[in-house]
Amino acid sequence: MMKRKICWMGVSLAALAMLALPLAAHHSFGAEYDASKPVTLAGVVTKIDWTNPHSYFYIDVKDDKGNVANWKFEGYGPGVLYRNGWKRGVTMKPGDTITVTGWRARDGTNWAHARQVTVASGEKRMFGPPAGTGDGGAAPPVEVK
Amino acid sequence: MRRVGAALIAAVALAPVSLAAQSQSAPAAKSTVPRASDGKPDLTGVWQGGSTVRGSWQEANQGNGVGGSGKNPNAPAVLSASDRPSTAEKAPYQPWAAQKVLDSYKIRAIDDPDAECLPPGIPRTSVLGLFPTQIVQTPQQIVFLYEYMHEFRVIPINGKHRDDIAPTYMGDSVGYWEGDTLVVDVTGFNDKTWLVGAGTFHSEALHVVERYTRVDKDQINYDITMEDPKVLSKPWVIHTHLMLREGTHLEEYVCAENNLAPAFYERLQKNNVNFQRP
Repeated sequence: MMKRKICWMGVSLAALAMLALPLAAHHSFGAEYDASKPVTLAGVVTKIDWTNPHSYFYIDVKDDKGNVANWKFEGYGPGVLYRNGWKRGVTMKPGDTITVTGWRARDGTNWAHARQVTVASGEKRMFGPPAGTGDGGAAPPVEVK
Repeated sequence: MRRVGAALIAAVALAPVSLAAQSQSAPAAKSTVPRASDGKPDLTGVWQGGSTVRGSWQEANQGNGVGGSGKNPNAPAVLSASDRPSTAEKAPYQPWAAQKVLDSYKIRAIDDPDAECLPPGIPRTSVLGLFPTQIVQTPQQIVFLYEYMHEFRVIPINGKHRDDIAPTYMGDSVGYWEGDTLVVDVTGFNDKTWLVGAGTFHSEALHVVERYTRVDKDQINYDITMEDPKVLSKPWVIHTHLMLREGTHLEEYVCAENNLAPAFYERLQKNNVNFQRP
């Protein structure tokens, strides 16, 4: 029930553009996440795991009736994030209100892949790779005759 | 003068085929290739694979490391461990083997050895763009340090493969200079890694020959030939590049720290979640 009440912002133009990009990651985005289920949520950061191979952050999301659900988002490991401008303890911290766009897990739980995060400063940053990542791309690497 | 001409010819011959790549990686004069004390091109530095863009890591990876979505819309996407370089031909597998590769592709590569944090092998490790590679060169040996999966290779120059090689993930590498090109011969692989891209398995008969040609300060032309008569119908050749990323340091990458992928895949299958391709 909670899931249905979440305020869905739908597919933004940016998200559409992201779908066209090639892929990048340690393991299969495509198996875990559904590129046809984009999600944009705003909430308060409760925890951040800066871990390899991938990082995770959690946000409390309030629906229009005041019910709160905790969502988990996956993205790049800390080395990749650092190289691309993320500073641990600065860019995003527990307690910050953020907005995140990504794609939902195939198992329907409150778990998603994070692509773009609008952090508390208003800056937009990429936390994870585009949709369809790590599962071999849009075309197989071989031709089967 | 003759050496200058030869270098220019080599640079032109090895230049990337795409127009976009050519515009960003025009052959440069030999004088810009840094030289080691023994006169060989010095490959020492931190490099990024799968790119032809010059500059620091941040300059070359506008769009926060993912390419295409930042200030430079033409920036190539960063190559991951599951991608083929954009200019690479499709893998020439024997029909039975191509079917096996396709099977992995259809299950969206959940059988990927990297998802278990195992070493990625060559050339999967060495064509990556998402993680940097550091090269340390001496006249006697060249050391490759890969951030991804914390792998390394110590390559003796003019060395010979040992007689008692046991199969390994990263294989046994020996190198030699052919003019200004470093040639690395790799054999002694196990059959537990993927070459480049989802499902691209191989046998223990895999033999990889890599050619590294630094054409100017910023760019190494990286040409790879993979031979495996047990699964490939002909050698698989990939031409790609490594670009210098001054100021970049290798970060720690401990894959086993928090690897949730295997449990996730198991849960998907147990709960009959449809994640496969048609």
